[in-house]
Amino acid sequence: MATQTAEADNMTQEESIQKDPAIPKVLLKEKHVRFFKQMLNMLPSMYEKLDSSRLTVLYFSLSALDLLGALDDLSEDRKKQIIEWIYSLQVKVDGSGDYKRCGFYATDSLPDTLEQNYGHIAMTYVALCSLVILGDDLSRVDKESIVLGLKHLQLESGAFQCIAFGSESDARFVYCASCISHLLKDWRGVDKDRATNFLLRAQSYEGGFAQNIGREAQGGSTYCSVAALVLMDTLDRVPDRRRLVDWCIARQQLGFNGRPNKLQDTCYSFWLGASLTLLEARELINKDANFSFLMTTQDQYMGGFAKWEGYLPDVLHSYFGIAGMFVISGEVPLHPALNISMRAYTHWQKNAVV
Amino acid sequence: MSDSDETPYSERPDWKDITPIPLPCGDVVQIMYSDRFKDVYSYMAAIMQKKEYSLRAFELTTDAIDLNAANYTVWHYRREILRNMNISLDQEVEFADAVIKDQPKNYQVWHHRRCLIEMTGDPSKELDLTATTLGKDAKNYHAWDHRQWVVSQYNLWEGELEFVEKLLQEDLRNNSAWNHRYFVVTNTTGWDKEVIERELEYTRAYINKAPNNESPWNYATGMIKGNGHSMVDFKSFVEMCEDLYSRQIRSPFGLKVLAEIREEREDYEKAIDIYMVLKETPTVRDRYWDYKVQCIRELMTC
Repeated sequence: MATQTAEADNMTQEESIQKDPAIPKVLLKEKHVRFFKQMLNMLPSMYEKLDSSRLTVLYFSLSALDLLGALDDLSEDRKKQIIEWIYSLQVKVDGSGDYKRCGFYATDSLPDTLEQNYGHIAMTYVALCSLVILGDDLSRVDKESIVLGLKHLQLESGAFQCIAFGSESDARFVYCASCISHLLKDWRGVDKDRATNFLLRAQSYEGGFAQNIGREAQGGSTYCSVAALVLMDTLDRVPDRRRLVDWCIARQQLGFNGRPNKLQDTCYSFWLGASLTLLEARELINKDANFSFLMTTQDQYMGGFAKWEGYLPDVLHSYFGIAGMFVISGEVPLHPALNISMRAYTHWQKNAVV
Repeated sequence: MSDSDETPYSERPDWKDITPIPLPCGDVVQIMYSDRFKDVYSYMAAIMQKKEYSLRAFELTTDAIDLNAANYTVWHYRREILRNMNISLDQEVEFADAVIKDQPKNYQVWHHRRCLIEMTGDPSKELDLTATTLGKDAKNYHAWDHRQWVVSQYNLWEGELEFVEKLLQEDLRNNSAWNHRYFVVTNTTGWDKEVIERELEYTRAYINKAPNNESPWNYATGMIKGNGHSMVDFKSFVEMCEDLYSRQIRSPFGLKVLAEIREEREDYEKAIDIYMVLKETPTVRDRYWDYKVQCIRELMTC
């Protein structure tokens, strides 16, 4: 039985990171910008397995460049080209009044003429974010179809599935539905009461939120739930907010883990950092400790971030490493619920035609 | 997975009637698809365009899934073929087994598995499937999700507490196992005071084995507070916390609970004492302990 707690061990670990000359102690912005620019252009064939979430790779890259202040490295022509590609992935409604296919798809590897090519709720969310980041006014978004299409995705339980022909349903897609509704300024597609009830029922005995009722509380689903509740303006219905904050704070080791007794992982700096920001408890986070941890997963050769020290960087962890760092430090303002820069959000507020 | 014919579809005589739809090649997030990927997916697109539900279309989806098991459009098309034709669902369940074994964190295959079980109405293999998957990664979220679905959908509660016990014997820090226990009790006996006492007894044993384990502390406080009680309502639990403290056991989880117990009793100064103990050596949560002290001081002035 140790009398020195594991907490004290963490601080010893932080000291050794600070003292290690092999670990850079700054965010290697240039390297990350290069990493994401590469993602925007071409991806090697091993990314075939990410074909069904290609639009999310676009969103991660654009949002990262935006947060790093390098979005304007892209020429106006290049931005226009990207906008055209995004719109090419929008489901074209056939005038039948059948909206269940609507939204955006992930990739053009299956042609848009295919009836079986349905919009996917997460791809619709990242498509809208990407357009907003690029300064598009959303005037070509088929808002009516998307909003009415969302209705086909909400289940009796209040949860959402991601695609109208059927899928798993959980907190992730309630989050996507909330972001879409917010950005299109139209909540007709979401029964907020039922959605809120679903999320609240998925708050576990631990205080955090699970993906579904009875499941284990987890950092990602906690973020999705808190952000969705904030966007729906129903956060005040959480019965034990103190316990929720306590659980989120307990996730910090140096960086954050996603569940008790699991390893800290780069992306949880965002999931928990943003959750605590939304819960107005960001000041309780130890920013220096989080920074130290992220310095160990930052790839000083290739740019980007890996989930763990010594692993290769991937686009998801690279994005959340940067977003996680900024949402906690406040160095670059980020909309904690939508996960785009405040610069992009402000532009949307002024210019969106929806 | 796909051990059959490796000949490109473009060279197969029995596919001559199909005109493949080539994949576009742009320059926005452009994946450099391999030749095999382009071949398979150009034929997949053509078959779907034609709405052909056939054995050859079914085998094509196997190749498409092998290349990208996250393609939900292909999985759905495969299910449509299954529904339209007399293909053995037993074999399909085995196919799902193989993909799960290879990619246990893939959402689409677990959803497919659930659809299959709904089609067959036979959940008899699911406890073994999830147990095997958890044997390799005891915290796999998909496996636990599937197990909870099967258990509640088909009333397979018997044996679940024993399953949890077995996993906790292997790793008492497995938070997923603790969560499952909570789920099982909630859906069987429910949480009357007698059950809470029994579960607290169970939890106490694990806390004493490793006081610095967050999971049983969350379990204990969760069952108490989640059912409308206060910790002071449970004497032996409070005694355990005081006892650990008096024996100099400095678990941050135990100390936090003790502070909250004292706060429940309105023993505010004594609660602050505990937060001070938590701050004796610098920890990552110092700002948080300061905040807790501040909250208590605010209560004291009320």
